[in-house]
Amino acid sequence: MKSEVLYPGAFPMVRVELAAGENIKAESGAMVACSPTIDIESKMEGGFLGALSRKFLTGEKFFFQTLRASRGPGEALLAPTVPGEIVILELDGVNDYMVQKDGFLAGADGIVIENKMQGLSRGLLGGEGFFILNISGKGMLVLNSFGAIHKIELKPNQEYIVDNSHLVAWSSTTSYNIEKATSGWVASFTSGEGFVCRFRGPGLVYIQSRNPGSFGAWIRQFIPVSE
Amino acid sequence: MASPPNALCFGDEFPAAGAPCLVQVEEHGLTVTFTSDTADSEPESVPFSTLTVSAGGLDHDQLVVKWVGPKGERTLYLKNPDTIRAFRQAAPDHLSHSFAQAAEQVRQVRHRGRLVWSLVVGVVLSTVLGLWFGSDLLVEIAVSRIPVEWEQKLGESAYRDFLSHQEVMKEGPAVAALGEMTQRMTAQIPDNPYKFEVTVVKSDVINAFALPGGYVVVFTGLMKKAESGEEVAGVLSHELNHVLQRHGLERIVKNLGLMAVAAIVFGNQQGLVGMMKQLGVELFTLKFGREQETEADLKGLQLLQRARIDPSGMITFFERLSEKDQGRMEWLSTHPMSAARAERLKAELAALPKKLPEPFMFDWKQVQAGL
Ligand SMILES: [Zn+2]
Repeated sequence: MKSEVLYPGAFPMVRVELAAGENIKAESGAMVACSPTIDIESKMEGGFLGALSRKFLTGEKFFFQTLRASRGPGEALLAPTVPGEIVILELDGVNDYMVQKDGFLAGADGIVIENKMQGLSRGLLGGEGFFILNISGKGMLVLNSFGAIHKIELKPNQEYIVDNSHLVAWSSTTSYNIEKATSGWVASFTSGEGFVCRFRGPGLVYIQSRNPGSFGAWIRQFIPVSE
Repeated sequence: MASPPNALCFGDEFPAAGAPCLVQVEEHGLTVTFTSDTADSEPESVPFSTLTVSAGGLDHDQLVVKWVGPKGERTLYLKNPDTIRAFRQAAPDHLSHSFAQAAEQVRQVRHRGRLVWSLVVGVVLSTVLGLWFGSDLLVEIAVSRIPVEWEQKLGESAYRDFLSHQEVMKEGPAVAALGEMTQRMTAQIPDNPYKFEVTVVKSDVINAFALPGGYVVVFTGLMKKAESGEEVAGVLSHELNHVLQRHGLERIVKNLGLMAVAAIVFGNQQGLVGMMKQLGVELFTLKFGREQETEADLKGLQLLQRARIDPSGMITFFERLSEKDQGRMEWLSTHPMSAARAERLKAELAALPKKLPEPFMFDWKQVQAGL
């Protein structure tokens, strides 16, 4: 399996080359184009209950798609819904990541996707909901973001504070606490209270350079209100 | 490459994501072999004597091993249960205490995880079932599954918060008298999971209340109004039974939902403060249902009887409170008195076997004089 990011920047796509028989998992709806040798199966990761719980609890789409090169080698082009960067990570079996529900675009067959429940307070206050994806296993993992993806590298015990809604993914060797944001953190468009995560290393934290919620609020002010 | 990596190693010369490595447990220490090509591939032997261990990672479920080697400080994150077990078995005595601590932390996290999951399942189920059966039974079931420690956490922070704004009577005959009443009654409660804390607050308010978990407040106004210790004991017994029957929790679960209770209990400090503030208000304006009042009355009467405190004090006090409308009768606002209520108590008392009451050690007039 080979993959590359095309048109890096705001409107990228991923090209994944599959050898005969190989397959990858992708967010449903991510497929843009593919060779005729590729079959799309809507597989329910984690069985029916897993898929159902994911649907209800994370708001995640019901299915992941499996793209399989059943009739010989071929390639697939994948793209996320929102404008923003794509990053490809390689999992080696020991480094796993927590991924915020909209951050997953695709992954090799060898990666394992599980719903992970956050501590209740993290879930209640965090804004990413109660469930996040815990992605482990071996192989390629493709993440997408809203805006650019920025990588924060944390040494053991090094701390960093991130606005919640900018989180994309973080390694499981980090730990974090949710704290209420002081006023400076909260965008003027959002009326609600903001929360920030205080991360502690070691490990990596991937953040996105734009906040989907604030962007939505910003758009909304231009939509005429009808009676 | 022989075996796949089973740990991540952090240190100054490694990438921030950590270097994958293979940790093997030997007789006198660990052997760490780096599996990536970027890092030094010479296996590193680390004697047990240089190591410290603790629990860490996102859910505190990974074993963090630290040491200072010739190349600086190193931190290993281990997740593989087999490796951790082998390490623990081979480790010398000086590490066993840290291991026990780490294991305890992991156990707590897992236990918490399971609890939270069963809560979620419970909430989903009860929502579904509630549509069919109405919710009272489910509230009861939910409440019966909430550990007493949660209840105490809930009540205690609201209690401390409340008392910090009040003038508390720390000693004196009134405090001693309430102590004696509480002691006599709690001695008659078999398998009492609560450690009742009764505080006298200086205020002319004619009131008393109990928070979930066994935190009771009696205002001096109520004690001034009472004509005997038995009358105060009647109110106290009623309030203690609100706690024993977990009426507060029932109301909270009914009003806020089980999730909110769980969130408060499991919440981290920042979130807790805000929610406690909200809930504190709920706790103090908590109005019990009529059935709960009747239950607290009847159980209260029985408790007085068992403690050999004259139960007629309870009845006369209730009657007197309801007859005269004298100034601020705050207890009445949460405890509407009706003729039926006193009648029910009289009937219940008549049905109970007669017991010779034992008087209190204190003299009520002296207690009142000290208020
Ligand atoms: Zn009552």
